[in-house]
Amino acid sequence: MRHYLARRALQAVVIVFLVATLSFLLLHLAPGDPFTTLQNPNITETVRQRWRAAYGLDRPLPEQYLRYLGTVARGQLGYSYSLHEPVLNALATALPNTLVLMAAALAASFALGILLGLVQARHRGSALDHGIGTLSLFFYSMPDFWLAIMMLLAFAYWLPIFPVTGMFDPVMHAMYGFWGRMADRAWHLVLPATTLTLLSAAFIARYQRAAVLDVLQDDFVRTARAKGVGERAILVRHVLRNALLPVITLLGLALPALLGGAVFVEKIFAWPGMGYLTVRAIATRDYPLVTAAMIVGAVLVAAGNLLADVLYAVVDPRLRAT
Amino acid sequence: MRIQLLLAPLLLAAAACHSRDVASAAGPDGGTLVISTPGEPSIAVPLFATTVSDMELGSTIFERLAEPGPDLNTIGDRGYTPALADKWTWGPDSLSIAFHIDPRAHWQDGAPVTARDVRFTFEAYRDPASGSIVTPLLTGIDSVSVRDPATAVFWFHRRYPQQFFDASYQMYVLPAHLLSGMQHADIRTSSFARHPIGSGPFRFSRWIAGTLVEVVADTARQRGRPRLNRIIWSVAPDYVASVTRLLAGDADFLEYLRPEAIAALRKHPEIKRLHYPSLSQGYLVFNLRDPDHAGRPNPIFGDRGVRRALTMAVDRRRLVANVFDSLGAVAIGPEVRAQSTADTTIPMLPFDPAHARALLDSLGWRDSNGDGVREKDGVPMRFTLMAPTASAIRIRTTVLLQQMFAKVGAKAELQQLEFNLFQQREQQRKFDAAINSMTFDPSPATIRQVWGSEAARDPSGANIGSYENPAFDALLDSAVNQFDPARSKALYRRAYATLIADAPAIWLYEPVNTVGVNQRVHPVGMRADGWWVNLAEWYIPADERIARDRVGLASLSP
Repeated sequence: MRHYLARRALQAVVIVFLVATLSFLLLHLAPGDPFTTLQNPNITETVRQRWRAAYGLDRPLPEQYLRYLGTVARGQLGYSYSLHEPVLNALATALPNTLVLMAAALAASFALGILLGLVQARHRGSALDHGIGTLSLFFYSMPDFWLAIMMLLAFAYWLPIFPVTGMFDPVMHAMYGFWGRMADRAWHLVLPATTLTLLSAAFIARYQRAAVLDVLQDDFVRTARAKGVGERAILVRHVLRNALLPVITLLGLALPALLGGAVFVEKIFAWPGMGYLTVRAIATRDYPLVTAAMIVGAVLVAAGNLLADVLYAVVDPRLRAT
Repeated sequence: MRIQLLLAPLLLAAAACHSRDVASAAGPDGGTLVISTPGEPSIAVPLFATTVSDMELGSTIFERLAEPGPDLNTIGDRGYTPALADKWTWGPDSLSIAFHIDPRAHWQDGAPVTARDVRFTFEAYRDPASGSIVTPLLTGIDSVSVRDPATAVFWFHRRYPQQFFDASYQMYVLPAHLLSGMQHADIRTSSFARHPIGSGPFRFSRWIAGTLVEVVADTARQRGRPRLNRIIWSVAPDYVASVTRLLAGDADFLEYLRPEAIAALRKHPEIKRLHYPSLSQGYLVFNLRDPDHAGRPNPIFGDRGVRRALTMAVDRRRLVANVFDSLGAVAIGPEVRAQSTADTTIPMLPFDPAHARALLDSLGWRDSNGDGVREKDGVPMRFTLMAPTASAIRIRTTVLLQQMFAKVGAKAELQQLEFNLFQQREQQRKFDAAINSMTFDPSPATIRQVWGSEAARDPSGANIGSYENPAFDALLDSAVNQFDPARSKALYRRAYATLIADAPAIWLYEPVNTVGVNQRVHPVGMRADGWWVNLAEWYIPADERIARDRVGLASLSP
């Protein structure tokens, strides 16, 4: 197992390196640069050239690439042109915010998806099964940005239950005590996390339903029934554990999907995480920041896959033995 | 009533248990202004400002030596009011201006503002290494000397009408005692750039990346505190979310209302719409050079008559009404209404499709094969009309223009490009026609950078259409160097008329700057060069204040 994990970790390093290289090249080969986006008759080409020189963008591309690799090797990720601060500082602020959002969404979407899948399988062919299936399909086929806007309008404007945007109230937050602040943050988390949850839970439920129905056909389930074990106990104790294997595979896929969804959800709910940072970096052609965001994304995806492998081994003792 | 208040008892109880001091804030001064902004500022020092957000933030913390009046006069010092300088005197030969620093002016760390700060500021702005966009605008100033600690003297290379404007308007004074120890360029990356100390009405309070920037009233300011207690720029990058925050009462101010937001606002009487003059305009620019062979004239637009005919094919009133509803005005020419030299009486080429068709016929452009597109010498009147995808307004404009051109036998093929690619094509002059948007500074001389021959010959100049006319250049030179405002305006009028007659562009619209404000907030003096310039005078009456207004001046840093 240890060798296996080491091998997967090494693969992850190679993938991250390739992602960084590809991002760097594609960004630099795309039209424009960080300083062409500013449209102002007072910004002369001389000023733009000075900016380019100040950030080394006047050097040949291979030299810029080698310099960038050197920067990364030193444990830094460069300097953000648009934020006027080291990229590491920007990531240190944004990444925890995204992780909070993703952790909440991931936990809620798996809990909800697994529960719905179980209920559907338990009541296969019933109106409840069809109802949940239709609803899942509805959310699954919905564009993330559209759902986010609808959630915002529905629950922050038409039915003003939740705050519109942000991670906390910009004024009152500081006036609250510790628990008040926690509650304020949790209250602001609800809408973006629910949006991501609805999007992910829908496909998890569909997978879970199929997996449970599959396992329900197995011999050990028939044996349990023959022994007189109740349906609920069969589902929870025997079927669920076996039916989790394909769903765990989804964990590896859910991370990048959530990260992709977070780009729009964070922008719409003004959640200051990696998604919003990436959108802003792309809009301003902030090369170091975009490349760093791609690296973080690749690391998260690799970590998700690694986590799925580990959980696989935890759930299935046969894998531990190999 | 907001159901969010379900949670309110918990939050209020928590707040009540907390020991922070909350002022009653019932006096004439007080209140919190929450601005919903799509773009977070990137830097707080105006020396490096490149975006509107940067300018908004920087101008609350730092000050100019003097402020122009609402007419944004740039000739002499008429209409200017004291800011950091309480008075000024012109040298006998008009080659110098001595600014006397207000003796009550202090930096927010307690140090007095001196003439040394002014000299340092000029040197920092002038230093090419700073990379300030203002550097090229200061070429008329030779140096700044310190006559005494309270008097800074600007010396000019020559007399010119905009001397006072250049010295007082372009620069915000920086604290030499905090910054003189570092290279000018290094200020950008220093902690000062995000935690500045200024002399303005507000002092920097906190910056939470991606979330908010806050300034609070400098109550120790001897020249008078601002009327608001604090201003928060709360970041909401999505426009729908930004508007929703205003409507839901989470924000008090939205700096840019788009036409599609107007209907929603009508249902909210507590939100008022305010207009202020604009320095922006949108226009269709013709490339007068062949995009594939820069040395040759454009086979279609190289002909002045063709450009005039196409201009007459455009019903600009209908276009503006369709695209902007009530939030746009038909452009008056190459200048904008808010500039001091604007002249709304200059006749524009009329909307007259019949005349346009006749003119094209007379120039030899005829539809000989009946396909609806005119040709001349085998060249069809077919061209690309470029616009950036990021601008819904410009995209809508191209669709309407396409229809209008088709009616006179010209085929415009729409080309919607990602913004960077659009910019690159414009700068490389690889386009036929493009919808451009420009925001001017108050100086009417800026037009030289957009339409002057020198900018046409400079491959990186802003005259992307490569328009050249020595008569226009001469008129503009005379206008820029004229000290008498009335004569200057008359010369500008002739320059504008020349440009309009040559039709290197179709000047289409000026957006009507419209902000959405909660009715409890009372804005004062929104100027064309920035709605924010008089933020220190904005107020919220005591009897209209809400919970967030009553937090007083307490620090909100976690």
